[in-house]
Amino acid sequence: MITARGLTRRFGQRMAVEGLDLDVAKGEVFGFLGPNGAGKTTTVRMLAALIAPTSGEATVAGVRLGTDNQAIRSKVGVLTEAPGLYKRLSAFDNLVFFARLQGERDPRAVAEKYLRLFGLWERRGDAAGSLSKGMRQKLAIARALLHEPQVIFLDEPTAGLDPEAARSVRELIEALRSRDRTIFLCTHNLAEADRLCDRIALFKTRLVTLGQPEALREARYGRRTLVRLARPMPGIGQALELPFIRSIESKDGELVVSLKDPAAENPSLVRRLVELGAEIQSVEELRVPLEEMYLDLMEGEDETD
Amino acid sequence: MRRISALLRKEWRESLRNKMVLFGVAVLPLLLVGMAIYMMKTEAGLDDPVGEAVLFNTSLMYFLLLPAVIPLAIAVYSIVGEKEQSTLEPLLATPLTDIELFLGKALASVIPALLVNWASFGLFLIATLVVVGGIPLTALTPPWLAAIFGLSPLLALFSVGVTMVISSRASDARAAYQFSSFAILPAIIPLIVYSTRRTLVSVGLVALQGGILAVACAAILFFAVRVFRREQILTRWK
Repeated sequence: MITARGLTRRFGQRMAVEGLDLDVAKGEVFGFLGPNGAGKTTTVRMLAALIAPTSGEATVAGVRLGTDNQAIRSKVGVLTEAPGLYKRLSAFDNLVFFARLQGERDPRAVAEKYLRLFGLWERRGDAAGSLSKGMRQKLAIARALLHEPQVIFLDEPTAGLDPEAARSVRELIEALRSRDRTIFLCTHNLAEADRLCDRIALFKTRLVTLGQPEALREARYGRRTLVRLARPMPGIGQALELPFIRSIESKDGELVVSLKDPAAENPSLVRRLVELGAEIQSVEELRVPLEEMYLDLMEGEDETD
Repeated sequence: MRRISALLRKEWRESLRNKMVLFGVAVLPLLLVGMAIYMMKTEAGLDDPVGEAVLFNTSLMYFLLLPAVIPLAIAVYSIVGEKEQSTLEPLLATPLTDIELFLGKALASVIPALLVNWASFGLFLIATLVVVGGIPLTALTPPWLAAIFGLSPLLALFSVGVTMVISSRASDARAAYQFSSFAILPAIIPLIVYSTRRTLVSVGLVALQGGILAVACAAILFFAVRVFRREQILTRWK
Protein backbone atom coordinates (compact mmCIF):
# COMPACT_ATOMS: atom_id res chain seq x y z
CA MET A 1 0.00 0.00 0.00
CA ILE A 2 2.99 2.28 0.62
CA THR A 3 6.37 1.79 -0.99
CA ALA A 4 9.25 4.22 -0.84
CA ARG A 5 12.63 3.94 -2.49
CA GLY A 6 15.43 6.33 -1.71
CA LEU A 7 12.94 8.96 -0.54
CA THR A 8 14.96 12.05 0.33
CA ARG A 9 14.07 15.57 1.32
CA ARG A 10 16.40 18.46 1.93
CA PHE A 11 15.53 21.94 3.17
CA GLY A 12 18.42 24.03 1.90
CA GLN A 13 21.54 22.52 3.41
CA ARG A 14 19.62 20.57 6.04
CA MET A 15 18.86 16.95 5.31
CA ALA A 16 15.42 16.10 6.74
CA VAL A 17 14.92 12.61 5.29
CA GLU A 18 17.67 10.60 3.69
CA GLY A 19 17.20 7.64 1.37
CA LEU A 20 14.14 6.11 3.01
CA ASP A 21 13.20 2.65 1.75
CA LEU A 22 10.08 0.99 3.11
CA ASP A 23 7.11 -1.17 2.19
CA VAL A 24 3.89 -1.08 4.17
CA ALA A 25 1.29 -3.75 3.38
CA LYS A 26 -2.47 -3.35 3.14
CA GLY A 27 -4.13 -3.65 6.54
CA GLU A 28 -0.85 -3.18 8.39
CA VAL A 29 -0.40 -0.90 11.38
CA PHE A 30 3.06 0.50 10.81
CA GLY A 31 4.80 2.38 13.61
CA PHE A 32 7.16 5.17 12.62
CA LEU A 33 9.22 6.07 15.66
CA GLY A 34 11.91 8.62 16.19
CA PRO A 35 12.89 11.63 18.28
CA ASN A 36 11.62 15.14 17.67
CA GLY A 37 13.17 16.59 14.52
CA ALA A 38 13.92 13.14 13.13
CA GLY A 39 11.99 13.85 9.92
CA LYS A 40 8.81 11.90 10.70
CA THR A 41 6.46 14.75 9.84
CA THR A 42 8.39 15.51 6.65
CA THR A 43 8.08 11.83 5.68
CA VAL A 44 4.32 11.88 6.29
CA ARG A 45 3.99 15.12 4.32
CA MET A 46 5.83 13.57 1.39
CA LEU A 47 3.79 10.36 1.48
CA ALA A 48 0.54 12.33 1.78
CA ALA A 49 1.53 14.34 -1.33
CA LEU A 50 1.77 17.61 0.57
CA ILE A 51 5.39 18.30 -0.24
CA ALA A 52 7.59 16.90 -2.96
CA PRO A 53 10.67 14.79 -2.27
CA THR A 54 14.03 16.16 -3.33
CA SER A 55 14.81 12.75 -4.79
CA GLY A 56 13.59 9.18 -4.64
CA GLU A 57 10.15 7.83 -5.34
CA ALA A 58 7.12 6.47 -3.56
CA THR A 59 3.80 4.87 -4.37
CA VAL A 60 0.85 5.41 -2.05
CA ALA A 61 -2.46 3.55 -2.49
CA GLY A 62 -1.39 2.53 -5.98
CA VAL A 63 -0.56 6.05 -7.16
CA ARG A 64 2.99 7.14 -7.77
CA LEU A 65 3.94 10.31 -5.96
CA GLY A 66 4.13 13.28 -8.33
CA THR A 67 1.93 11.74 -11.04
CA ASP A 68 -1.50 12.46 -9.55
CA ASN A 69 -1.10 13.98 -6.11
CA GLN A 70 -4.76 14.95 -5.97
CA ALA A 71 -5.69 11.26 -6.31
CA ILE A 72 -3.29 10.39 -3.49
CA ARG A 73 -4.86 13.03 -1.26
CA SER A 74 -8.30 11.59 -1.92
CA LYS A 75 -7.08 8.13 -0.91
CA VAL A 76 -5.30 9.04 2.29
CA GLY A 77 -6.47 10.48 5.58
CA VAL A 78 -4.12 12.60 7.66
CA LEU A 79 -4.35 13.30 11.37
CA THR A 80 -1.85 16.04 12.09
CA GLU A 81 -0.18 16.45 15.47
CA ALA A 82 -2.48 19.36 16.35
CA PRO A 83 -6.18 18.54 15.77
CA GLY A 84 -6.42 21.55 13.43
CA LEU A 85 -10.14 22.24 13.67
CA TYR A 86 -11.98 25.42 12.79
CA LYS A 87 -12.63 26.54 16.34
CA ARG A 88 -15.46 28.94 15.52
CA LEU A 89 -17.34 26.37 13.47
CA SER A 90 -19.46 23.66 15.06
CA ALA A 91 -18.30 20.05 15.17
CA PHE A 92 -20.93 19.27 12.53
CA ASP A 93 -19.87 22.13 10.22
CA ASN A 94 -16.22 21.08 10.51
CA LEU A 95 -17.02 17.59 9.24
CA VAL A 96 -19.49 18.77 6.59
CA PHE A 97 -16.83 21.09 5.17
CA PHE A 98 -14.23 18.35 4.86
CA ALA A 99 -16.81 15.87 3.51
CA ARG A 100 -17.60 18.41 0.79
CA LEU A 101 -13.91 18.85 -0.03
CA GLN A 102 -13.58 15.07 -0.28
CA GLY A 103 -16.44 15.04 -2.79
CA GLU A 104 -18.91 13.10 -0.62
CA ARG A 105 -22.38 13.04 -2.23
CA ASP A 106 -24.21 13.61 1.02
CA PRO A 107 -21.79 15.50 3.28
CA ARG A 108 -24.34 16.03 6.04
CA ALA A 109 -25.15 12.32 6.26
CA VAL A 110 -21.43 11.45 6.35
CA ALA A 111 -20.86 14.02 9.10
CA GLU A 112 -23.74 12.62 11.10
CA LYS A 113 -22.48 9.04 10.67
CA TYR A 114 -19.02 9.89 12.02
CA LEU A 115 -20.27 12.13 14.82
CA ARG A 116 -22.49 9.30 16.01
CA LEU A 117 -19.66 6.76 15.60
CA PHE A 118 -17.38 8.85 17.80
CA GLY A 119 -20.05 9.68 20.36
CA LEU A 120 -20.07 13.37 19.47
CA TRP A 121 -23.57 13.66 18.01
CA GLU A 122 -24.97 15.31 21.13
CA ARG A 123 -22.29 18.00 20.87
CA ARG A 124 -22.67 18.52 17.11
CA GLY A 125 -23.76 22.14 17.42
CA ASP A 126 -20.97 23.18 19.78
CA ALA A 127 -18.07 25.20 18.44
CA ALA A 128 -15.06 22.92 17.97
CA GLY A 129 -13.01 25.25 20.16
CA SER A 130 -15.33 24.61 23.11
CA LEU A 131 -14.90 20.82 23.04
CA SER A 132 -12.58 18.98 25.43
CA LYS A 133 -9.14 17.95 24.15
CA GLY A 134 -10.25 14.32 23.84
CA MET A 135 -13.36 15.31 21.90
CA ARG A 136 -11.34 17.54 19.59
CA GLN A 137 -8.95 14.69 18.91
CA LYS A 138 -11.85 12.36 18.15
CA LEU A 139 -13.32 14.96 15.82
CA ALA A 140 -9.97 15.31 14.05
CA ILE A 141 -9.74 11.53 13.65
CA ALA A 142 -13.31 11.48 12.30
CA ARG A 143 -12.26 14.14 9.78
CA ALA A 144 -9.33 11.98 8.67
CA LEU A 145 -11.61 8.96 8.20
CA LEU A 146 -14.84 10.33 6.77
CA HIS A 147 -13.91 9.67 3.13
CA GLU A 148 -12.99 6.06 3.95
CA PRO A 149 -9.32 6.43 3.00
CA GLN A 150 -7.19 3.41 2.17
CA VAL A 151 -4.18 4.77 4.01
CA ILE A 152 -4.37 6.71 7.27
CA PHE A 153 -1.47 8.74 8.62
CA LEU A 154 -1.81 9.32 12.34
CA ASP A 155 0.65 11.70 13.97
CA GLU A 156 0.65 11.29 17.76
CA PRO A 157 -3.02 10.33 17.95
CA THR A 158 -3.07 9.92 21.74
CA ALA A 159 -0.73 12.75 22.72
CA GLY A 160 -2.16 14.77 25.58
CA LEU A 161 -5.25 12.61 25.99
CA ASP A 162 -6.46 11.27 29.32
CA PRO A 163 -6.14 7.47 29.73
CA GLU A 164 -9.78 6.84 28.89
CA ALA A 165 -9.71 8.90 25.70
CA ALA A 166 -6.34 7.40 24.73
CA ARG A 167 -7.77 3.91 25.17
CA SER A 168 -10.76 4.69 22.96
CA VAL A 169 -8.39 5.98 20.25
CA ARG A 170 -6.30 2.80 20.51
CA GLU A 171 -9.44 0.71 20.23
CA LEU A 172 -10.38 2.66 17.15
CA ILE A 173 -6.98 1.97 15.57
CA GLU A 174 -7.47 -1.73 16.26
CA ALA A 175 -10.93 -1.57 14.70
CA LEU A 176 -9.49 0.12 11.61
CA ARG A 177 -6.87 -2.60 11.29
CA SER A 178 -9.63 -5.21 11.31
CA ARG A 179 -11.27 -3.28 8.45
CA ASP A 180 -8.11 -3.68 6.34
CA ARG A 181 -7.06 -0.05 6.52
CA THR A 182 -3.37 0.67 6.36
CA ILE A 183 -2.25 2.81 9.25
CA PHE A 184 1.00 4.75 9.37
CA LEU A 185 1.38 5.67 13.01
CA CYS A 186 3.90 8.26 14.19
CA THR A 187 4.19 8.19 17.94
CA HIS A 188 6.48 8.80 20.89
CA ASN A 189 4.39 6.45 22.98
CA LEU A 190 6.53 3.33 22.68
CA ALA A 191 4.23 1.12 24.73
CA GLU A 192 1.42 2.09 22.39
CA ALA A 193 3.54 1.29 19.34
CA ASP A 194 4.54 -2.04 20.87
CA ARG A 195 0.93 -2.92 21.48
CA LEU A 196 -0.63 -1.72 18.23
CA CYS A 197 1.96 -2.03 15.49
CA ASP A 198 2.57 -5.05 13.29
CA ARG A 199 5.94 -3.60 12.40
CA ILE A 200 7.91 -0.58 13.51
CA ALA A 201 10.58 1.55 11.93
CA LEU A 202 13.03 3.48 14.09
CA PHE A 203 13.94 6.60 12.20
CA LYS A 204 16.34 9.45 12.64
CA THR A 205 16.76 11.27 9.33
CA ARG A 206 17.47 7.81 7.94
CA LEU A 207 16.07 4.41 8.77
CA VAL A 208 17.77 2.95 11.84
CA THR A 209 15.96 -0.37 11.90
CA LEU A 210 12.71 -1.90 10.73
CA GLY A 211 10.81 -5.05 11.64
CA GLN A 212 8.29 -6.67 13.94
CA PRO A 213 8.82 -5.43 17.50
CA GLU A 214 9.31 -8.98 18.77
CA ALA A 215 11.72 -9.93 16.00
CA LEU A 216 13.76 -6.77 16.56
CA ARG A 217 13.99 -7.55 20.26
CA GLU A 218 15.02 -11.11 19.57
CA ALA A 219 17.65 -10.08 17.06
CA ARG A 220 19.15 -7.59 19.48
CA TYR A 221 18.73 -9.26 22.86
CA GLY A 222 17.84 -12.87 22.10
CA ARG A 223 15.04 -14.57 24.03
CA ARG A 224 15.52 -14.84 27.73
CA THR A 225 13.86 -16.58 30.63
CA LEU A 226 13.99 -15.18 34.15
CA VAL A 227 13.94 -17.80 36.92
CA ARG A 228 13.52 -16.58 40.49
CA LEU A 229 14.77 -18.97 43.15
CA ALA A 230 13.50 -19.11 46.72
CA ARG A 231 17.12 -18.84 47.94
CA PRO A 232 20.39 -18.07 46.12
CA MET A 233 22.37 -21.12 44.91
CA PRO A 234 25.91 -20.05 43.93
CA GLY A 235 27.32 -22.00 40.99
CA ILE A 236 24.00 -23.40 39.84
CA GLY A 237 24.39 -21.67 36.46
CA GLN A 238 27.52 -23.68 35.62
CA ALA A 239 25.93 -26.85 36.93
CA LEU A 240 22.97 -26.73 34.55
CA GLU A 241 24.94 -28.02 31.52
CA LEU A 242 22.03 -27.99 29.06
CA PRO A 243 22.96 -27.89 25.33
CA PHE A 244 20.26 -25.37 24.33
CA ILE A 245 21.37 -22.69 26.79
CA ARG A 246 23.17 -19.89 24.96
CA SER A 247 24.28 -17.91 28.02
CA ILE A 248 23.34 -17.54 31.64
CA GLU A 249 23.61 -14.75 34.20
CA SER A 250 23.07 -15.38 37.88
CA LYS A 251 22.60 -12.75 40.60
CA ASP A 252 20.86 -12.69 44.02
CA GLY A 253 18.71 -15.75 43.47
CA GLU A 254 17.75 -14.74 39.94
CA LEU A 255 18.85 -16.54 36.79
CA VAL A 256 18.56 -14.91 33.37
CA VAL A 257 18.89 -17.68 30.80
CA SER A 258 19.27 -16.91 27.09
CA LEU A 259 17.43 -19.50 24.99
CA LYS A 260 16.52 -20.07 21.38
CA ASP A 261 12.91 -21.13 21.98
CA PRO A 262 11.77 -20.48 25.56
CA ALA A 263 8.35 -22.06 25.05
CA ALA A 264 9.90 -25.43 24.12
CA GLU A 265 12.97 -25.27 26.33
CA ASN A 266 11.61 -23.82 29.59
CA PRO A 267 10.15 -27.18 30.81
CA SER A 268 13.56 -28.90 30.47
CA LEU A 269 15.24 -25.97 32.17
CA VAL A 270 12.83 -26.09 35.11
CA ARG A 271 13.15 -29.90 35.41
CA ARG A 272 16.96 -29.63 35.51
CA LEU A 273 16.90 -26.88 38.14
CA VAL A 274 14.61 -28.97 40.36
CA GLU A 275 16.94 -31.96 39.91
CA LEU A 276 19.78 -29.76 41.16
CA GLY A 277 17.75 -28.95 44.28
CA ALA A 278 16.56 -25.48 43.35
CA GLU A 279 13.32 -24.20 44.83
CA ILE A 280 11.67 -22.22 42.09
CA GLN A 281 9.58 -19.20 42.96
CA SER A 282 8.62 -18.08 39.43
CA VAL A 283 9.52 -18.50 35.76
CA GLU A 284 8.77 -15.87 33.14
CA GLU A 285 9.95 -14.89 29.74
CA LEU A 286 11.91 -11.63 29.87
CA ARG A 287 10.58 -9.06 27.43
CA VAL A 288 12.82 -6.06 26.92
CA PRO A 289 10.62 -2.95 26.81
CA LEU A 290 10.55 -1.32 23.39
CA GLU A 291 11.68 1.85 25.13
CA GLU A 292 14.95 0.20 26.18
CA MET A 293 15.63 -1.04 22.66
CA TYR A 294 14.69 2.37 21.22
CA LEU A 295 17.08 4.17 23.56
CA ASP A 296 19.88 1.67 22.84
CA LEU A 297 19.47 2.03 19.11
CA MET A 298 19.14 5.80 19.13
CA GLU A 299 22.18 6.09 21.37
CA GLY A 300 24.08 4.02 18.85
CA GLU A 301 22.79 6.27 16.09
CA ASP A 302 23.99 9.37 17.99
CA GLU A 303 27.46 7.84 18.24
CA THR A 304 27.43 7.12 14.50
CA ASP A 305 26.56 10.79 13.83
CA MET B 1 -16.38 24.06 -8.53
CA ARG B 2 -17.95 22.10 -5.65
CA ARG B 3 -14.77 22.40 -3.64
CA ILE B 4 -14.49 26.16 -4.29
CA SER B 5 -18.11 26.56 -3.23
CA ALA B 6 -17.43 24.51 -0.05
CA LEU B 7 -14.43 26.69 0.73
CA LEU B 8 -16.43 29.89 0.15
CA ARG B 9 -19.21 28.75 2.49
CA LYS B 10 -16.70 27.80 5.15
CA GLU B 11 -14.84 31.11 4.83
CA TRP B 12 -18.02 33.13 5.19
CA ARG B 13 -19.29 31.08 8.11
CA GLU B 14 -15.99 31.64 9.87
CA SER B 15 -15.89 35.36 9.05
CA LEU B 16 -19.41 35.83 10.40
CA ARG B 17 -18.27 34.31 13.68
CA ASN B 18 -15.10 36.40 13.86
CA LYS B 19 -15.69 39.75 15.54
CA MET B 20 -12.36 41.16 14.35
CA VAL B 21 -13.15 40.44 10.72
CA LEU B 22 -16.73 41.69 11.05
CA PHE B 23 -15.44 44.86 12.70
CA GLY B 24 -12.90 45.39 9.91
CA VAL B 25 -15.52 44.87 7.21
CA ALA B 26 -18.38 46.85 8.71
CA VAL B 27 -16.89 49.70 10.71
CA LEU B 28 -14.88 51.54 8.03
CA PRO B 29 -17.77 51.73 5.50
CA LEU B 30 -20.18 52.93 8.19
CA LEU B 31 -17.66 55.45 9.43
CA LEU B 32 -16.98 56.86 5.96
CA VAL B 33 -20.67 57.01 5.02
CA GLY B 34 -21.48 58.69 8.35
CA MET B 35 -18.67 61.19 7.87
CA ALA B 36 -19.73 61.99 4.31
CA ILE B 37 -23.34 62.51 5.32
CA TYR B 38 -22.34 64.73 8.22
CA MET B 39 -20.24 66.94 5.91
CA MET B 40 -23.00 67.06 3.30
CA LYS B 41 -25.55 68.06 5.92
CA THR B 42 -23.29 70.82 7.23
CA GLU B 43 -22.71 72.11 3.69
CA ALA B 44 -26.42 71.91 2.82
CA GLY B 45 -27.17 74.48 5.48
CA LEU B 46 -24.89 77.01 3.73
CA ASP B 47 -26.96 77.01 0.52
CA ASP B 48 -23.89 76.49 -1.64
CA PRO B 49 -24.69 74.07 -4.52
CA VAL B 50 -21.11 74.14 -5.87
CA GLY B 51 -19.58 73.35 -2.49
CA GLU B 52 -22.19 70.64 -2.03
CA ALA B 53 -21.25 69.06 -5.37
CA VAL B 54 -17.54 69.18 -4.50
CA LEU B 55 -18.22 67.52 -1.16
CA PHE B 56 -20.37 64.92 -2.85
CA ASN B 57 -17.55 64.19 -5.31
CA THR B 58 -15.07 63.88 -2.46
CA SER B 59 -17.40 61.43 -0.75
CA LEU B 60 -17.61 59.33 -3.89
CA MET B 61 -13.86 58.71 -3.61
CA TYR B 62 -14.50 56.67 -0.49
CA PHE B 63 -16.22 54.08 -2.64
CA LEU B 64 -13.01 53.60 -4.61
CA LEU B 65 -11.04 53.20 -1.42
CA LEU B 66 -13.33 50.70 0.29
CA PRO B 67 -13.04 47.89 -2.29
CA ALA B 68 -9.28 47.92 -1.79
CA VAL B 69 -9.38 48.12 2.01
CA ILE B 70 -12.24 45.77 2.95
CA PRO B 71 -10.76 42.59 1.38
CA LEU B 72 -7.54 43.05 3.38
CA ALA B 73 -9.27 42.16 6.65
CA ILE B 74 -10.79 39.01 5.21
CA ALA B 75 -7.93 37.90 2.96
CA VAL B 76 -5.12 38.22 5.50
CA TYR B 77 -7.16 36.42 8.12
CA SER B 78 -8.11 33.77 5.61
CA ILE B 79 -4.54 32.45 5.42
CA VAL B 80 -3.28 33.66 8.80
CA GLY B 81 -6.33 32.17 10.50
CA GLU B 82 -5.70 28.79 8.92
CA LYS B 83 -2.14 28.83 10.18
CA GLU B 84 -3.04 30.08 13.64
CA GLN B 85 -5.65 27.36 14.10
CA SER B 86 -3.30 24.72 12.60
CA THR B 87 -6.00 23.96 10.03
CA LEU B 88 -3.82 24.63 7.03
CA GLU B 89 -2.24 21.18 6.90
CA PRO B 90 -5.52 19.23 7.18
CA LEU B 91 -6.96 21.54 4.51
CA LEU B 92 -3.98 21.03 2.20
CA ALA B 93 -4.19 17.27 2.75
CA THR B 94 -7.53 17.17 0.91
CA PRO B 95 -7.95 16.88 -2.88
CA LEU B 96 -8.37 20.67 -3.05
CA THR B 97 -5.99 21.91 -5.77
CA ASP B 98 -3.74 24.96 -5.37
CA ILE B 99 -5.80 26.96 -7.86
CA GLU B 100 -9.07 25.99 -6.13
CA LEU B 101 -7.60 27.04 -2.81
CA PHE B 102 -6.47 30.34 -4.28
CA LEU B 103 -9.78 31.05 -6.00
CA GLY B 104 -11.81 30.05 -2.95
CA LYS B 105 -9.80 32.29 -0.66
CA ALA B 106 -9.73 35.19 -3.15
CA LEU B 107 -13.45 35.10 -3.95
CA ALA B 108 -14.30 34.80 -0.26
CA SER B 109 -12.69 38.24 0.16
CA VAL B 110 -13.64 39.93 -3.12
CA ILE B 111 -17.38 39.13 -3.14
CA PRO B 112 -18.23 40.51 0.31
CA ALA B 113 -15.96 43.51 -0.28
CA LEU B 114 -17.87 44.45 -3.43
CA LEU B 115 -21.26 43.81 -1.84
CA VAL B 116 -20.37 45.91 1.19
CA ASN B 117 -18.93 48.68 -1.01
CA TRP B 118 -21.95 48.88 -3.27
CA ALA B 119 -24.34 48.57 -0.33
CA SER B 120 -22.48 51.44 1.38
CA PHE B 121 -22.77 53.47 -1.82
CA GLY B 122 -26.52 52.78 -1.90
CA LEU B 123 -26.79 53.74 1.75
CA PHE B 124 -24.88 56.95 1.06
CA LEU B 125 -27.22 57.92 -1.80
CA ILE B 126 -30.32 57.19 0.27
CA ALA B 127 -28.91 59.08 3.25
CA THR B 128 -27.99 62.03 1.02
CA LEU B 129 -31.49 62.07 -0.39
CA VAL B 130 -33.06 61.94 3.06
CA VAL B 131 -30.69 64.21 4.98
CA VAL B 132 -29.71 66.77 2.31
CA GLY B 133 -32.97 66.60 0.40
CA GLY B 134 -31.59 65.58 -2.97
CA ILE B 135 -28.64 64.04 -4.82
CA PRO B 136 -26.49 66.57 -6.70
CA LEU B 137 -26.84 64.99 -10.11
CA THR B 138 -24.21 67.27 -11.62
CA ALA B 139 -21.67 65.55 -9.41
CA LEU B 140 -22.94 61.99 -9.82
CA THR B 141 -21.73 61.70 -13.39
CA PRO B 142 -21.58 58.55 -15.55
CA PRO B 143 -17.75 58.46 -15.25
CA TRP B 144 -18.11 58.33 -11.46
CA LEU B 145 -20.66 55.53 -11.68
CA ALA B 146 -18.38 53.71 -14.11
CA ALA B 147 -15.51 54.13 -11.66
CA ILE B 148 -17.50 52.89 -8.67
CA PHE B 149 -19.01 49.89 -10.44
CA GLY B 150 -16.27 49.15 -12.97
CA LEU B 151 -13.09 49.83 -11.04
CA SER B 152 -14.22 48.36 -7.70
CA PRO B 153 -13.88 44.71 -8.79
CA LEU B 154 -10.41 45.42 -10.19
CA LEU B 155 -9.30 47.26 -7.04
CA ALA B 156 -10.62 44.43 -4.87
CA LEU B 157 -8.95 41.78 -7.03
CA PHE B 158 -5.64 43.59 -6.96
CA SER B 159 -5.83 44.03 -3.22
CA VAL B 160 -6.62 40.35 -2.67
CA GLY B 161 -3.92 39.25 -5.14
CA VAL B 162 -1.25 41.23 -3.29
CA THR B 163 -2.50 40.00 0.09
CA MET B 164 -2.52 36.37 -1.03
CA VAL B 165 1.04 36.63 -2.36
CA ILE B 166 2.25 38.24 0.84
CA SER B 167 0.32 35.85 3.09
CA SER B 168 1.68 32.81 1.34
CA ARG B 169 5.25 34.09 1.29
CA ALA B 170 5.48 35.84 4.66
CA SER B 171 7.03 33.96 7.51
CA ASP B 172 4.60 35.20 10.16
CA ALA B 173 1.21 36.77 10.60
CA ARG B 174 2.42 40.19 11.69
CA ALA B 175 4.55 40.58 8.58
CA ALA B 176 1.59 39.54 6.43
CA TYR B 177 -0.61 42.21 8.00
CA GLN B 178 2.03 44.92 7.65
CA PHE B 179 3.00 44.28 4.06
CA SER B 180 -0.56 43.76 2.87
CA SER B 181 -1.28 47.47 3.33
CA PHE B 182 0.68 48.03 0.10
CA ALA B 183 -2.30 46.48 -1.65
CA ILE B 184 -4.30 49.72 -1.38
CA LEU B 185 -1.74 51.79 -3.32
CA PRO B 186 -3.58 51.50 -6.67
CA ALA B 187 -6.67 52.90 -4.96
CA ILE B 188 -4.83 55.74 -3.26
CA ILE B 189 -2.89 57.12 -6.24
CA PRO B 190 -5.97 57.99 -8.37
CA LEU B 191 -7.64 59.44 -5.28
CA ILE B 192 -4.73 61.81 -4.83
CA VAL B 193 -5.01 62.82 -8.49
CA TYR B 194 -8.76 63.41 -8.19
CA SER B 195 -8.58 65.21 -4.88
CA THR B 196 -5.93 67.68 -6.08
CA ARG B 197 -8.37 68.55 -8.90
CA ARG B 198 -5.54 68.35 -11.42
CA THR B 199 -7.90 66.52 -13.69
CA LEU B 200 -11.63 65.84 -13.88
CA VAL B 201 -13.03 62.37 -13.59
CA SER B 202 -13.83 61.52 -17.17
CA VAL B 203 -14.69 58.37 -19.07
CA GLY B 204 -11.22 58.44 -20.60
CA LEU B 205 -9.54 58.68 -17.22
CA VAL B 206 -11.63 55.88 -15.77
CA ALA B 207 -10.90 53.74 -18.84
CA LEU B 208 -7.18 54.48 -18.52
CA GLN B 209 -7.22 53.64 -14.82
CA GLY B 210 -9.25 50.51 -15.56
CA GLY B 211 -6.79 49.44 -18.24
CA ILE B 212 -3.78 49.92 -15.97
CA LEU B 213 -5.56 48.14 -13.13
CA ALA B 214 -6.59 45.26 -15.40
CA VAL B 215 -2.97 44.75 -16.46
CA ALA B 216 -1.78 45.03 -12.85
CA CYS B 217 -4.48 42.56 -11.74
CA ALA B 218 -3.56 40.10 -14.45
CA ALA B 219 0.11 40.37 -13.46
CA ILE B 220 -0.47 40.01 -9.73
CA LEU B 221 -2.97 37.15 -10.15
CA PHE B 222 -0.60 35.36 -12.53
CA PHE B 223 2.20 35.78 -10.01
CA ALA B 224 -0.05 34.87 -7.07
CA VAL B 225 -1.19 31.62 -8.69
CA ARG B 226 2.43 30.74 -9.39
CA VAL B 227 3.64 31.37 -5.83
CA PHE B 228 0.53 30.20 -4.01
CA ARG B 229 1.82 26.64 -3.67
CA ARG B 230 0.87 24.37 -0.82
CA GLU B 231 4.48 23.40 -0.23
CA GLN B 232 5.55 27.03 0.06
CA ILE B 233 2.74 27.86 2.45
CA LEU B 234 3.26 24.73 4.51
CA THR B 235 7.00 24.99 4.91
CA ARG B 236 7.42 28.78 5.09
CA TRP B 237 4.94 29.51 7.84
CA LYS B 238 6.49 29.11 11.26
